[in-house]
Amino acid sequence: MACPHLDYRDSDGERQFDTARAFCTVTEEFVQPVHADICTERYGLDPEADCEVYRAEAGLDWDE
Amino acid sequence: MTYDEYLDGKPVVVTAALTGGIQGKEAHPDLPETPDEIAAAAAAVEAAGAAVVHLHARRDNGERAFSTERFQAVTDAVRDATDDVIVQHSTGGTAAPDALRAEPLRTDPAPEMASLDMGPMNRGRRLTSENTRDTIDGLHAEMRERGIKPELEVFNNGHLNESFRILDDLADPPYLNLIFGPGTLAPPSPANLQRMVDQLPERAEFNVIGFGPHQLPLTTQSLLLGGHVRVGLEDNSYLRKGELATNEALVERTVRIAEELGRPVASPAEARDLLGVESRR
Ligand code: SF4
Repeated sequence: MACPHLDYRDSDGERQFDTARAFCTVTEEFVQPVHADICTERYGLDPEADCEVYRAEAGLDWDE
Repeated sequence: MTYDEYLDGKPVVVTAALTGGIQGKEAHPDLPETPDEIAAAAAAVEAAGAAVVHLHARRDNGERAFSTERFQAVTDAVRDATDDVIVQHSTGGTAAPDALRAEPLRTDPAPEMASLDMGPMNRGRRLTSENTRDTIDGLHAEMRERGIKPELEVFNNGHLNESFRILDDLADPPYLNLIFGPGTLAPPSPANLQRMVDQLPERAEFNVIGFGPHQLPLTTQSLLLGGHVRVGLEDNSYLRKGELATNEALVERTVRIAEELGRPVASPAEARDLLGVESRR
């Protein structure tokens, strides 16, 4: 599973990457590798529970 | 480990952290990620004076990898590209399960050194590298079994307590890496660095990491206190404000400063002697 906002892109407009990289369609930015563990739901991480961007986009408060 | 050792011109071990697992090419276009890129960076920093390279592995898409297979690809490429540099593998990792965390220790040959995080570190709101005592003891036991020198990663003062807990189980000299930066890291200041050094046992060797703009001043302070230094793109992307660095340039600057201050830079062989590292070359 992966976050619905996760996309993989092989270019940032200027540079071309050999392998497509994690891109967040909410922030319109490439995701840090360490954060991509959340985007990909790796190691039990979960975008709805753990990602600031996902929760802000969904209008969720941290105490919900 | 003291100012007297600085006065005596004790050799300094320079470690280069080439890659890390936190940021990638989205943050620095030339951050090395593939085995070939990391190997080229390792060769460049060895030529510039680094005695140790601190290695992480990545997937093809730049995301972090812990598997023995990916570490093997990186470590093979680095050993081929370098003459004698000491290979140190990371075992750190946000949220990665313990079983995966041990995989970087299982390459053939085993890494000569490996990092051992001494407690939790937070990133963002919910990302935590837990590093329970169980994790620490499990990784440490495997390092001992495989003859790997642990580099104790002390993210803050409390992690000194955890380091002292296993002090008797460490071969001489215990090697502690004092880390300064934002969040749950030790607040970066000369006074905090001095205080940490004051608390170290006499037989310990220490290394200093300063994140971002703290890399230059705090590693320089370490030179004055008889400590060792780690620099590189894992910890700091900039040579100076607005100017992106290379691993090589960061090592070159450290070597220049060390020599100017009267600390000769240790070769890999000298570093093995100083730190009690078993050679696998
Ligand atoms: S950063 Fe957050 S919102 Fe964006 S793709 Fe990753 S998990 Fe989803």
